[in-house]
Amino acid sequence: MRSRAILFIGVCASLLFSEAHAQMLSRKVNLPADSPVTLVSVDWGGTDASARGGAFFVDVHASLSLRNSSQKRVRAITFAVLSQEVTPGGKGSVSVPSLDIAPGEVFPVTIDLRLLRPIGGTAGVEVKLDGVLFDDLTFYGPDNLQSRRTMTVWELEARRDRQYFKKLLETGGAKALQAAMLDDLSRQADRSLYGMQMVRGRATNVEPQRDVSFAFLEMPDAPIQAMNGMARVSGSEAHAPSIEIRNRSERPIRYLEIGWIVKDQQGREFLAASMPADVSLAPGKTGQVGQNTALRFPERTSIQGMTGFVSTVGFADGSYWIPSRASLSDSRLRRVVTPSPEEQRLTQIYQKKGLNGLIEELKKF
Amino acid sequence: MKKRAHLSETTLALYVSADLPLWRRALVGLHVARCSWCRQMAEIYRDDRLRVREIASEMPPGVNWDKLSAEITANIRVGLAAGECVAPRKKKTAALGWRPAAAMAGLAALLVCAWVLNMPSTSTQELGRAFTAIWSGHVLNAGGVNPVRDTHGLVVEVNSSGIELLENGSTVLGVSQDQSKLVDVSASAEGSASARYVDDNTGQMTITSVYAQ
Repeated sequence: MRSRAILFIGVCASLLFSEAHAQMLSRKVNLPADSPVTLVSVDWGGTDASARGGAFFVDVHASLSLRNSSQKRVRAITFAVLSQEVTPGGKGSVSVPSLDIAPGEVFPVTIDLRLLRPIGGTAGVEVKLDGVLFDDLTFYGPDNLQSRRTMTVWELEARRDRQYFKKLLETGGAKALQAAMLDDLSRQADRSLYGMQMVRGRATNVEPQRDVSFAFLEMPDAPIQAMNGMARVSGSEAHAPSIEIRNRSERPIRYLEIGWIVKDQQGREFLAASMPADVSLAPGKTGQVGQNTALRFPERTSIQGMTGFVSTVGFADGSYWIPSRASLSDSRLRRVVTPSPEEQRLTQIYQKKGLNGLIEELKKF
Repeated sequence: MKKRAHLSETTLALYVSADLPLWRRALVGLHVARCSWCRQMAEIYRDDRLRVREIASEMPPGVNWDKLSAEITANIRVGLAAGECVAPRKKKTAALGWRPAAAMAGLAALLVCAWVLNMPSTSTQELGRAFTAIWSGHVLNAGGVNPVRDTHGLVVEVNSSGIELLENGSTVLGVSQDQSKLVDVSASAEGSASARYVDDNTGQMTITSVYAQ
């Protein structure tokens, strides 16, 4: 009888402790006063903090309802999710691309993240607006996470791919669109999601190292030409990639991104990572880009070769170049390159709603 | 008949009591069979032996064996008790009763309840994975990727179930889109990774990123 009473009291105490924990967690959505989106409601759902060791683990499960209070259509939005900005490991972001939100319209953003912050105060989570991209490619926000660049590239890719599918529908009809969707679905199913670890700097590896040269996929319309490149490879690890580039356009270049394809011992190729770099490259000039990064693949993987291709170029005037659909039709690229978020969204709509649902979606904008 | 030609009295006595070695007993037996004097002496010793045994088996007059046995037993017990008083006592091991066991079970149930109510499900899953790894004797191995060795600082991990930020092998930042379908993961050599999810109901694409910077 006495032990039952102790058990009952213990369970009640743990319930109270859990409730106290939830109350300790501060939760905040931070939108600037002149923000083009306003918060209609927020549901923190199962957001909770739990102490473990010397840190709080904050599980963020939030559903924001936002209104477009600007006069333009919203194409993409990014929120920074912070548990403690100055602590490494406490930063994540949630972006929603491929939107078409009219002025005054309400739209949802779902956040599911797990963050860490050291114990030493009240555990809390802060959701901050990092940027909003409009349909005229103008941007609002602090852009601490370089979301302007990322969202602009997504939007350009979305326009390219929507245009491609619309044209296909016009010229080839529904059957041509359906065939393209089936081909897309098959390609996406063939792209296996690989396992990989990446660390800034270099992971210690006792295996002997060798220099492996990059081969490059030529894109005739790319404003950057990648000429030479190599990385140090030891077993299943590649690090310190370095590539020599030349600006063959007539405009100065400030940013570029190179896709890094790795070939394993069985001849399979997969896109390992993208290599972004801020540069200052005048027309006709050459330069060197590199990353102090190590990529580690599953131990059974033996890196046999590496290929690079230019995936994004940012000009000094703020405009961007992305590969055309024709360039991406190269069989090697098609196998490994990640489809744009919009292309993936359209194929999901086709899967869920069928051909008519997809055609309706393409007619929207 | 000279005494010197006969066996010694000791040998004959040992022969009678069957205490001679086998080979010697055989030789003495042959001699006794042929020598009348030695045979006679052996008979005398044999009679003496029987008589001594009979005398020894009889109790002295006035002695009651049952009573004597009881007294001896009682004296032994008194002696043992007195010895215990002098020698250091051994500590008795307390038998574990049902009460401590019930208290321990209650405490364990309380801890389990507190864990379930307070810790997120991901922690429980990690604990399960850790126990499984300990049980199977394997190193924890998320997504089939061996952990980067001797690495300090943050590690971005990309696998078929999503993206994570690790520090010293433990997740410090993860992504879990319960209601959504993972369609892609990608990594940037700058030290970030992204996971793309499509909401099954709304079709909305959400891209979640973690930063090791």
